[in-house]
Amino acid sequence: MAIRTRTVALLLGAAVVIGGGAVAGRMLFLPGPLDFAGGTRVALADYKGPSPIGVPAKLAHASLIEKGRYLTDAADCRACHTAKGGTPFAGGRPFKLPFGTLYTPNITPDKATGIGNWTDAQFLRAVHQGISADGTRLYPALPYASYALMPDADVLAIKAYLFSLQPVRQANLPNSFTFPYNQRWLMGFWGYFFNKDKRFEPIAERSPEWNRGAYLVEGPAHCGECHTPRTLAQAMNTRQKFAGGAAEGWNAYNITGDRTTGIGAWSKPEIEAYLATGHANGRSVASGPMREAVDLSFSKLTKGDIAAIATYLQTIPPIHSARLGAPAAFAAASHAQGPADNPIGKRVFEQACVSCHAWSGKGALVADAQLTAKKAVSDPTAANVALMVLQGTGPQTAGRPYMPGFARSYSDTEIAAVANYVTARFGTMPSKIAPRDVAKLRAE
Amino acid sequence: MLELSINGEAHHADVTADVPLLWVLRDVLGMTGTKFGCGIAQCGACTVHLDGQPVRACQLPVGLVGARKITTVEGVGATPAGAAVQKAWLDLDVIQCGYCQSGQIMSAAALIASTPAPSDADIDAAMAGNICRCGTYVRIREGIKKAAAEHHA
Repeated sequence: MAIRTRTVALLLGAAVVIGGGAVAGRMLFLPGPLDFAGGTRVALADYKGPSPIGVPAKLAHASLIEKGRYLTDAADCRACHTAKGGTPFAGGRPFKLPFGTLYTPNITPDKATGIGNWTDAQFLRAVHQGISADGTRLYPALPYASYALMPDADVLAIKAYLFSLQPVRQANLPNSFTFPYNQRWLMGFWGYFFNKDKRFEPIAERSPEWNRGAYLVEGPAHCGECHTPRTLAQAMNTRQKFAGGAAEGWNAYNITGDRTTGIGAWSKPEIEAYLATGHANGRSVASGPMREAVDLSFSKLTKGDIAAIATYLQTIPPIHSARLGAPAAFAAASHAQGPADNPIGKRVFEQACVSCHAWSGKGALVADAQLTAKKAVSDPTAANVALMVLQGTGPQTAGRPYMPGFARSYSDTEIAAVANYVTARFGTMPSKIAPRDVAKLRAE
Repeated sequence: MLELSINGEAHHADVTADVPLLWVLRDVLGMTGTKFGCGIAQCGACTVHLDGQPVRACQLPVGLVGARKITTVEGVGATPAGAAVQKAWLDLDVIQCGYCQSGQIMSAAALIASTPAPSDADIDAAMAGNICRCGTYVRIREGIKKAAAEHHA
């Protein structure tokens, strides 16, 4: 009897160890960014065809600083390293993470507070491995797991551009992480498992355009950092590549080839228009962090590079998002049809929204204002709808229509109600966002 | 050079396509009946009709108008619904300071042209985006009902 019990215990123990090991293994060993594509990886030097790295052909003879400016735009360094209303690249932008608030550092060439004393080797180590000049570990809020794909030449061109900027004396702000998250050395383990620190290698069987797109998407543009969900260890879960993640309260939607919840139904010109201008007719309008990515990065890239990105994105294997509804048809043209159980939401909609969006959701003035078929209106969290109501969206440049923010015009209750009205009227998965959720988003 | 059909007449404006229709009406063509209020489609003072539909001219790039017929407050009296609204407005002394009223009249005329006997909910849905700082809402509501009754009599 005793022997039998011991055998069962041993077997159970072994099962736990093997099972736990398998789970840990799955968590620690994730597919690489291009593993989905198959084919033969070749070293850059052995790739036949135009180089997928560096700058586009038209900048081939530009100065190192000009090349660096293009790659800095492609890597969108500016978005994170600039505080609201602050000097570009002088840092200070807060990022609220589950572990505390982190402030981006000054990357102007100021010797005292910026990176003016950094050597090439130190800069490369920071961008590729997430190790600062003084040896401390950086948090992967700096997307070094993506930037590691960039060859030294591209990273050093970025450094040359940054060093051409006016130095700004602005001290870095300390982050508010508490134990154990303030133990930066632990990031060494993170890097060991989740940053392969391998430069980009093209795939021989794919076209030069695809490889260029792959380089830009996976390296400098670091799309997966927001659009790929994260594991418990905060690594990009590449088994769910591009199936949708999050950024600063916003949902970064599925950009896989899934036809209803991804971008599988989008044409290549639609993807290109979205990236270059922030709007693809009838598909989507870039808002929040994606609007920044369009304004500061994608809109600055050449048509050829935008086309390459679209070509590559169209090959991402489809993954269906269960928590995102399919696009709906246009709503009724009359206010009298539609959700009847949300009088506050309807009141706010008729006061503030209908002039531009129309009861049908087609948009009353400009095509950008179409609500129907947008992912945000079929998102049952309604987070993006609420954030758009709070912060506004669209190109806020003179003379162009944009949506103003309503944070100071409506209460949390009203904004929650109108967000729920919008998802019920125009989407296929009605939301139940509560005023307290809106209060949290307000603080983003 | 853009050609626009306004109140039944052809007008020409040498402007770029992204200029808001409101600026073209007021600053280029001198038709100042349509008012500038907020500039972000939140107050309704700039309302005009495009093929009979009320739109906010401040947020409409003129290049998107195309061949659609524009009606402004200067021309709405020539339409049956517009004439009925103007008469009701005078009969009931709807206007106080008047700044928002060209927009109110345009939204009201579009409403009664499409809705024979508008309910309070219909009026809310069509008029909530037209703001009146004098608070003439009660008389506006009354005026719309009177104009609708006479227009569809």
